[in-house]
Amino acid sequence: MSRFVPNARLVPLMATTLVLIVLFGFASMQYPGFASARVVANLFRDNAFLGITAIGMTFVILSGGIDLSVGGVLAFSTILIATLVGGHGWHPLAAISVGLLCGTFFGAVMGFLIQRYELPPFLVTLGGMFFARGLAFVISPESVGISHPFYDKVMEIGIPVGPKARLTAIALLWIGVVFVAIFVAHWTAFGRNVYALGGNEQSARLMGLPVGPTRVGVYALNGFCSALAGAVATFYMGSGNPSMGVGLELDAIASVVIGGTLLTGGSGFVAGTLVGVLILGTIQTVILFDGRLNSWWMRIAIGVLLLGFILLQRLLGRLTAARR
Amino acid sequence: MKDWFAGGRVLYPLIGLGLLLMFDFFFVPNFFQFEVRDGRLFGTVIDILNQGSKVMLLAIGMTLVIATGGVDLSVGSLMAVAGAVAAVLVTRSDLPVPVVCGVALGAVLLLGAFNGVLVSLVGIQPIVATLILMVAGRGVAMLLTDGQIVTFENEALVYIGNGAFLGLPFTLTLVLAVWGGALLLTRRTALGLFIETVGDNETAARFCGVPNRLVKTGVYCFSAVCAGVAGLIAASNIKAADSSRVGEMMELDAIFAVVVGGTALTGGRFTMAGSVTGALLIQTLTTTMVSLNVSPAIIPVPKAVVIVAVCLLQSDKFRAEIGRVLGRKAMA
Amino acid sequence: MKSNRLMNQIGARLGLFTATTAAILWAGCGQQSKPVTGGPSASGGAPASTPGATKAGYTVGFAQVGAESSWRTAETDSIKGEAEQRGVTLKFSDAQGKQENQIKAVRGFIAQGVDAIILAPVVETGWEPVLKEAKQAGIPVVLVDRGLKVADESLYATLIASDFVAEGRMAAEWLVKKTGGKASIIELQGTPGAAPAIDRKKGFEEGLKEHVDMKIIASQSGDFRRSVGKEVAEALLKVHGTKVTAVYAHNDDMALGAIQAIEEAGRKPGVDVIVVSIDGVKGAFEAMVKGTLNCSVECSPLLGPLAFDAVEKALAGVELPKKTIVDDQVYDTTTAKDVIDSRKY
Repeated sequence: MSRFVPNARLVPLMATTLVLIVLFGFASMQYPGFASARVVANLFRDNAFLGITAIGMTFVILSGGIDLSVGGVLAFSTILIATLVGGHGWHPLAAISVGLLCGTFFGAVMGFLIQRYELPPFLVTLGGMFFARGLAFVISPESVGISHPFYDKVMEIGIPVGPKARLTAIALLWIGVVFVAIFVAHWTAFGRNVYALGGNEQSARLMGLPVGPTRVGVYALNGFCSALAGAVATFYMGSGNPSMGVGLELDAIASVVIGGTLLTGGSGFVAGTLVGVLILGTIQTVILFDGRLNSWWMRIAIGVLLLGFILLQRLLGRLTAARR
Repeated sequence: MKDWFAGGRVLYPLIGLGLLLMFDFFFVPNFFQFEVRDGRLFGTVIDILNQGSKVMLLAIGMTLVIATGGVDLSVGSLMAVAGAVAAVLVTRSDLPVPVVCGVALGAVLLLGAFNGVLVSLVGIQPIVATLILMVAGRGVAMLLTDGQIVTFENEALVYIGNGAFLGLPFTLTLVLAVWGGALLLTRRTALGLFIETVGDNETAARFCGVPNRLVKTGVYCFSAVCAGVAGLIAASNIKAADSSRVGEMMELDAIFAVVVGGTALTGGRFTMAGSVTGALLIQTLTTTMVSLNVSPAIIPVPKAVVIVAVCLLQSDKFRAEIGRVLGRKAMA
Repeated sequence: MKSNRLMNQIGARLGLFTATTAAILWAGCGQQSKPVTGGPSASGGAPASTPGATKAGYTVGFAQVGAESSWRTAETDSIKGEAEQRGVTLKFSDAQGKQENQIKAVRGFIAQGVDAIILAPVVETGWEPVLKEAKQAGIPVVLVDRGLKVADESLYATLIASDFVAEGRMAAEWLVKKTGGKASIIELQGTPGAAPAIDRKKGFEEGLKEHVDMKIIASQSGDFRRSVGKEVAEALLKVHGTKVTAVYAHNDDMALGAIQAIEEAGRKPGVDVIVVSIDGVKGAFEAMVKGTLNCSVECSPLLGPLAFDAVEKALAGVELPKKTIVDDQVYDTTTAKDVIDSRKY
């Protein structure tokens, strides 16, 4: 990876990873039972769908855009799959394929509007968020349960990683998506075009890069990721729910940015996003293990921890950069 | 580059608002009916202005933040803080209401300064810097009210969100005062230019001697105070501080209003009139849906359609395309 | 007394918190010294928040939805208070209204090896995977305030809840009696998709079915919020004018907002416009005494004692009934005065 990018750009990523290790180490000293394979496995399982949306979001942000529709598309995808499987007796794989197609198409349409008419991505995807959420409620205002032998079978898949701990199918899928995304970002033309587009659109255009298709592609990819995250969520909960993922877009954006990607585009790493999601997840787990904070102290604690780690990340970044 | 709002930056959201109002005129019963009672006007349009005051205020503050290339996600939570401080002080102390409001605004001003410092001095990306207070600020508000809804009857405080001034809701006076103040500061002094320069090109701004850190901290403080006033209005309007729910998702409405009004998220040139129009657009839309009794579950769909339609209206390319299509039809 | 205890708790937590953060930051600056915190959990073993908390010797995890209403906070207080009284170590989690957070909480409780879990599910589906894990770990789960749709009922020990559909029906029946079977009603629904909103709507419609002159002329979401309740009522009162003779709200907060809107429209709430709501929180009782709210159907959040009785029975291996329905009362302007002083929430 470092062959393709200057080393200095890896600093934020290393700082972020260090922060995660420090956070985890500290929590392990503080709370008995924290440093266990089970907690780590749960982290990967519980954050799988956030992780997958954050991957798509990374590409959007790298291209200099933003996508607020991910929560809505995720909810739409869960309820569509659940209704097709539960209400219409489809095979889950067929239902998931339809869900993925819808998500990709939806993203592509938003990308098209943004590209063709030079509309601000914030507004178009905000519209997309409302639209997808509304459609989800049109399909079914209530959550729909899924019971299908295929789901049971998939749920049994898992790699044991310790006592009472295994990486489940959805955790494995997330990790797989991360690897594919790293490959796409750094070893394909599409990935390089995304970085170029986010770095400087005019230069990218002058260099003859396919700016239009790349931008539409980025939003289509994110639509795909959101729908895939929706499919993962149906496995996670065994149901579809039109009100799921409210505010997910902010968590996803926060993970990407904590992971060291610049909101202005052109700079960042998919791997950083993985770490960003794990940091948010670990903060949540720490608070859960403490278990003594009431609702409002919990919010304050999340804020303070977030602040602490962002400051720490900046500090580490600066120290490392200074030593160089 | 920013040609999508070249020319009529305020014009197109205004056209959008006009079209929506025209729709209301034909399809919503009693929409333009006015009634004078106790020396003040009543009517749906007045309600829109009154309820829309919160988003208008947030949007005015947000405009300056966005003009510097930032964004403030904490405004909804800061509304909760201001409301909670005011409600707690007014019910548990004998302080006069102006002092109470002053303390509430002072508290959110401090929080705004915190946002500003994180962005300008520490150099954290605005979306994450303000995310911290978006989460924690509501916690602080709930801590103050012990997670309860604190109700109050104090007449002076209730006046802010319910009273009438010159026959119109007092909230309008507040909006105009804040807007006027901001206009004076940004258009009659070099401040507006500073803000636009910082948003356009920060490095260049620094070399030109613009105190960019001060400017950045300042806009977050201003945004926080706007949110504080909005929070006081929200609490006063229902005679209660609902710290766990007030202002939820309102940051998105405010950002929407600003962007639809013609200020680009990337920073640079800004127009507060556009933002205020955007805020009125979103409030009119909400009121229209409710008045027409659109099923709550599908309300988001027409909302999305209007958002995208207004966007397209602003797009030069789209208008040119439509023009071509219409022209061809006229020829045939 | 209560505020005193609260201050102590806040103080203790603040102390622990600053210590924690400071320690984290130290550790981050590369000092390898072991962080020393003021928190009681530094010594290892299960964290004990109050002295003598280990008397009963067991730990319960409580996965709450959030703190979005005074009803919800009352429920949390009831469960926390009961835990303290019984000397149970309580692990509390607030999901901020999100099911995914609640699932994480339950899974986290299992990982920590709590003895039992109390769950207030935010929606009815989606719990099978995590409840199976709890069952495998031998941890009984007691559900409060909302039921689940699961194929296998052995996944939870028992459900202690109010019947939301019945509440809606009781509100409708009361309104029919009060108005003599003729009314034009504005309905303020809860958040779209939320179980109480769906059930209270269904129950209300059931209760009105045989009364053709009871018409719901508009039904909009007030999001369970006082401010939105007011805004929506304001708009609908403008559209329908004096036609409106009754308002039915899915919770008290929205009704209290609507009452203000009715007053501002120049009509008398409770007289010109009959107002009915559900939950029976303190603010509703005060309004009923004033005569602005006509009726509130109680939905008791004080589930702590029942929940811990169930937990203890489940831990002792006693077979529990799958469902305990909390008996809800209807209060109106005539009965509110007599009971307002005894209301705990």
